[in-house]
Amino acid sequence: MEDARAAAMLVRRCLAGDAVAWEEIVQCYHRRIYNLCYRFAGSADDAQDLTQDVFIRMYRTLKSYDVERGALVTWITSMTRNLLVDHFRKNRQARITDSLDSALSEHEDAPTLGERIPDKGVPPDAGVERRETQETVHLALQKLSPDLREAVILRDLQDMDYREIAAVLRVPEGTVKSRINRGRAELARQLQRTYRQVM
Amino acid sequence: MAVENQPGMACAEFEALLSDALDQTLAGAKLQNFQAHGASCAVCGPMLKNAEAGQDWLKSLQDAEPPVTLVNDILVATTGLRANRLGAAIPSRASWWEQFTALVFAPVMGVVRQPRFVMSFGMAFFSVSICLSLAGIRLSDLRTANLRPSAIKRNYYETSGRVVKYYENIRFVYEMESRVREFKRVTAPAEPEREEKNKEHKNDTSGRPDQKEDRNYRQGETSPLLAETSEPAIATANTLRRSL
Repeated sequence: MEDARAAAMLVRRCLAGDAVAWEEIVQCYHRRIYNLCYRFAGSADDAQDLTQDVFIRMYRTLKSYDVERGALVTWITSMTRNLLVDHFRKNRQARITDSLDSALSEHEDAPTLGERIPDKGVPPDAGVERRETQETVHLALQKLSPDLREAVILRDLQDMDYREIAAVLRVPEGTVKSRINRGRAELARQLQRTYRQVM
Repeated sequence: MAVENQPGMACAEFEALLSDALDQTLAGAKLQNFQAHGASCAVCGPMLKNAEAGQDWLKSLQDAEPPVTLVNDILVATTGLRANRLGAAIPSRASWWEQFTALVFAPVMGVVRQPRFVMSFGMAFFSVSICLSLAGIRLSDLRTANLRPSAIKRNYYETSGRVVKYYENIRFVYEMESRVREFKRVTAPAEPEREEKNKEHKNDTSGRPDQKEDRNYRQGETSPLLAETSEPAIATANTLRRSL
């Protein structure tokens, strides 16, 4: 409640032309938005561009933010999600949840999706291993369908509650929970297959 | 998912409670039924394990580090200003005048200080100054007296005269005009006698009209006859007057 009041105050100062208030908003939320964009888009360059686009849009439409209708973070996340969906539609690729065993082409000898994920042997250095594991999880996350991906990102990486996620995605809470469960399970299945192949 | 009715709980109910179970918000009989169903159901058991594993994988992901320049890039893209250190510029208590100016002037100044606005203003100033210099107007020459109607009128005529002179002195225009004149002379039927006469009178600065002689002849032809016979007229009134 205190955060919501502080955020509303920041927005009011920003609308009054206080550049420092706007800088505070940027400092406060840029990391969160960047991570959301990075985990959804998969590329650091895309994430950087998308984060800038989010803030530019936010700067232009800050007047439309209504404190009574929800928290600032929900409003920002919702805006980011809309932009990500637009971005996804523009760069539509085969982003449906493909099986790792399915071949990329019709040839029998063609490499499978599982084979495309780089071979992760057990490295001697634990730091390197952790970093590579994170990259593997990040790659596997990109294989999820957008619906499942955004749900698990908002829940497990952005720590939003179900009600907020439902507001952002504009679906009932039951649907949110179902998508999160299916997303987590699908991610685990993909990673198990990957490591099974590696071993 | 296949809907199976295992003891204590249906699969649909199990799936609905899966999130709460992973969030550890289930307790009591509900939790026991959930665990019992998960242990006995061939579909829901693996699903619970996969969901748990997936959640663990996701929780292991650390925040990606945004680029160092991101905040500056955003601020430049939105306000045109670079990042200031927070707190340094925030006044503790603003007076009513500062609040008023912040409310009224700050939004205007925020727009004015944007690079695109400064660029547009610079281009407009540049265009106006070029137009003024082409029209021969110098700002340093502007005085109060020059704003009187008579002075403005005089300036107008001077400027238009200057423009006409400038135009006529352009080499291209001059050449074109001379070509057109030459072309007209070639195509029009020539009058050699008149041209010769013109040449003769070229250096004549007396101001006497050239066609005076013709006029006299004409006058002679049209003057009234004193008498008319079958013979051609012998003398006109003028010759008579001269003889008298």
